Amino acid sequence: MKWLEKYKISPPVLEKESDYPDWAISLVPTLLNRTGTWRIFRPIYENKVPPCNNECPTNEKIQGYFDYVKQGKLLDAYKLILEDNPFPSITGRVCYHPCEGVCNRKDYDESLAIHCVERYIGDWGIKHVPFAKPREKRKETVAIIGSGPAGMAAAYYLTLDGFNVTIFERKTKLGGMLRYGIPAYRLPKKILDSEFKKLTALGVKFKVNCAIGKDITLDSLRKSYDYIIIGHGAHKNRPLGIPNENAAGVFSGLEFLFQINSGKKPKIRKKVAIIGGGNTAIDAARSSLRLGSIPTILYRRTRTEMPAVPDEVDAAEKEGIKIEFLVAPVKVKATKKGKVTGIELIKMKLGKPDASGRRRPVPVEKSNFVLKFNNIISAIGEQVDLSMLSKDIEKSEWGVKADNIGRTNIPNVFAVGDCVTGPKTVVEAFGAGKRAALKILGETDKIKFKAEMRNAGEASMNQRPVKFTDLNLDYFEHANKIPGPEIQVAARKKNCKEVHTGYNKAMFKQETERCFSCGVCNKCDNCFVLCPDLSVLKDAGDYEFDYDYCKGCGVCARECPRYAITMLEESKVEVE
Amino acid sequence: MNKVITGNHAVSYGAQLARSQVIAAYPITPQTQVVELLSEFCASGKLNAKFIKVESEHSAMAACLAASAAGARAFTATSAHGLALMHEMLHWAAGARLPVVLANINRAMGPGWSVWTDQNDSLSQRDLGWIQLYCESNQEVLDTTIQAFKIAEKVLLPVMIILDAFVLSHTSEPVDIPEQELVDKFLPPYDLKTKLDLANPKSYGALTNPDHYYEMRYKIAKAQSESLKVIKEVDLDFYEHFGRKYGIVETYRCDDAKVILVTSGTITGTARTIINEMRERGRKVGLLKQKLFRPTPFEELRSILYKAQKIAVIDRNISFGHSGIFAQEIKSALYGLAGAPPIFDYIIGIGGRDVTPDDIREIIDNTFKTEAPQEPIIWRGVRL
Repeated sequence: MKWLEKYKISPPVLEKESDYPDWAISLVPTLLNRTGTWRIFRPIYENKVPPCNNECPTNEKIQGYFDYVKQGKLLDAYKLILEDNPFPSITGRVCYHPCEGVCNRKDYDESLAIHCVERYIGDWGIKHVPFAKPREKRKETVAIIGSGPAGMAAAYYLTLDGFNVTIFERKTKLGGMLRYGIPAYRLPKKILDSEFKKLTALGVKFKVNCAIGKDITLDSLRKSYDYIIIGHGAHKNRPLGIPNENAAGVFSGLEFLFQINSGKKPKIRKKVAIIGGGNTAIDAARSSLRLGSIPTILYRRTRTEMPAVPDEVDAAEKEGIKIEFLVAPVKVKATKKGKVTGIELIKMKLGKPDASGRRRPVPVEKSNFVLKFNNIISAIGEQVDLSMLSKDIEKSEWGVKADNIGRTNIPNVFAVGDCVTGPKTVVEAFGAGKRAALKILGETDKIKFKAEMRNAGEASMNQRPVKFTDLNLDYFEHANKIPGPEIQVAARKKNCKEVHTGYNKAMFKQETERCFSCGVCNKCDNCFVLCPDLSVLKDAGDYEFDYDYCKGCGVCARECPRYAITMLEESKVEVE
Repeated sequence: MNKVITGNHAVSYGAQLARSQVIAAYPITPQTQVVELLSEFCASGKLNAKFIKVESEHSAMAACLAASAAGARAFTATSAHGLALMHEMLHWAAGARLPVVLANINRAMGPGWSVWTDQNDSLSQRDLGWIQLYCESNQEVLDTTIQAFKIAEKVLLPVMIILDAFVLSHTSEPVDIPEQELVDKFLPPYDLKTKLDLANPKSYGALTNPDHYYEMRYKIAKAQSESLKVIKEVDLDFYEHFGRKYGIVETYRCDDAKVILVTSGTITGTARTIINEMRERGRKVGLLKQKLFRPTPFEELRSILYKAQKIAVIDRNISFGHSGIFAQEIKSALYGLAGAPPIFDYIIGIGGRDVTPDDIREIIDNTFKTEAPQEPIIWRGVRL
């Protein structure tokens, strides 16, 4: 009854018959709520969190740029992506797109092909939009170790706000895993080069062939730079730990991919075994196929437990690559001169779940057998090389110890990407790099940092993303996903042509139209048209409720296809 | 000014002379002509009112209620199924104490589909808090329509004027149409104290818990019984202005009557003729016309009917599983009076079947020759 006090109203006391009104007329004026006590809930426009935005490790505003595309505003779409992820041409190709896994459309027909749309916008942007320039000048300096995705993202956002950034790269060319790990049939080098032009245009300095700990020490960098961001990745091959693993003809997965991606042709023969079930194993297998070999993947668990992206596993199988499940290597078979002839394997079965939640493989006794191979590629995982880090930096089980915005135990030293988490994904590295950059921005400009972190999606994390059941499906027609076009399997042999060719304009538009715009008003006019009390007012495209007439029936909220209207209890409305 | 007009047009003239400000109606046989003429009045400027076309009778009454609450004099007319469809809003009218005036042309309810007269449509609405006035002639219709607004606005209860389908609604009679100036003198403008006020907005008709609802129902009941006095006063007041009065009941040759016939609506006219005829033959028979059905004129019914030896009630209606509705009312009015006369309940004319002079004669003869009713209901002329 706060509003009674506000309006200085005291309800009359009903004692005599004449005190009673003739009928049910409120004893006090209804100045606050002019529709009277009929309305116990009021609608409010309240955009919610779309599940895709919420799931994206960079918190890309996916619904937002889909909406721009629907309005024909491609430039706005591109700029909106760049607010959260500077390199959509990369993620549009190699991201494992967790957004699509949570897309509400999947429960209706098929999830959106978000990555295909992102890729189209990214490629369009590179072609049509001038590269950004720093928004201001600052004096602070930042050294970034490693030119992989984590360092790239951090460099972009820092230089955009005027920081002086130098990236130290031990290899000759830039990009880290993006260049040396991911094969060109997934991410063409010219795309990567184009994305790097964004950093060059911003004034990022690069020092290549410069290995920390060898050419320059971390300590000396700490003396001459205001901030350090460590992002050197996880590049150390995990050893198999079986006899003869150093025999000639045995490659490490990363080394094998490094050679190919450096333009060399590793010497492999016809029958190649790839050991492992992660992305490196799949990349190595599909690359061997392109070198003319017949690859077989050997994995100790089953398909369900494979850490590789399912789409990639599918693609490998489509290309005819065989995967042997539930086998573990025991010994590399080699001649006396050390030439590989095959591998001895033992059959496995699945036991109880391990720490990762996946069922642990258990050897089946006396089930050993031998398969003949000319080469073995070992790809059972990568580790972080911590040798170049000084002792005062705290380490974890996986690598450098840092929190989710990259802070290590040493002030102004940040660590991001695979060197913190162990081998993860490109998009997670982008996200981590961005968060560290935002933190550094915030140290110099606290107000801005707060706003930027919200922008980065921290605030949205606290809200429940929109569920399928929140939507009003009566307003959506069924429409299947437009699959991303790809070259024929036969055309993939003996070359590194990009498999996916990307949407054309028609596909791009058609797929974008499928977006539900979960939780975000896109001005569909349903509330405006259906309000029985004409209480939805429209002003310059924005809606407003006229609470003097709204009786709180909730038709607008029910008929909002995308849950952008919330019914709020009147008793919870704040008196202004 | 004298004019030969139908009962329906008598309603229209009444509503026009009363300066209705909002008319919302949906057409239905046999009511259509009422609102047809009113719409013409509105179109020609003869009546300065907002005529609202609606999609149903429910909405017609809703519109009248809103207009009335906002301070406008509101009028509507309907019949049978239209009245039934309005039922919820009829409750609202009484519950909200809004002085809306409604003319109902008595028509039998379907199925079987009928457009002809009987009283079941309006009598089905007897318990809602509406004042009900049954009319015998076109002049009475016009006069009662004007009176109805004055009564309604004095007691803050809705008033229903009722006339028989076709027998009155579509039958022309000479009617004296009073001068507007005189009507204005009789009927002041509508002024509702609790009318909607933008400067002082309030909640109307919202959730009312048991702490208050009970008292509000008490006030409706009280207003109903107090309205008896007002209805009589308005009738006298009308007489002073226009020289015509009707009373809440009318007695005809009852003073020494052994049998008193009780009628309502147009049957009264037929009965009056037969009474004269019978009196000439020496039969001591009289007539009570019950014009006011709600509130029940207990005092009048008791004092007049108690003197008779027998009472014959003519009911153009039937409460299934009980009896004729007017007969019930009269029985309850006489209850507890020692030596009260026996009551004969004649059901007749349902669904618009003609009630002829012979019917009335036979009813009177039958009542004279039978000591007490042999059956609780006497179905007159049933062909089974």
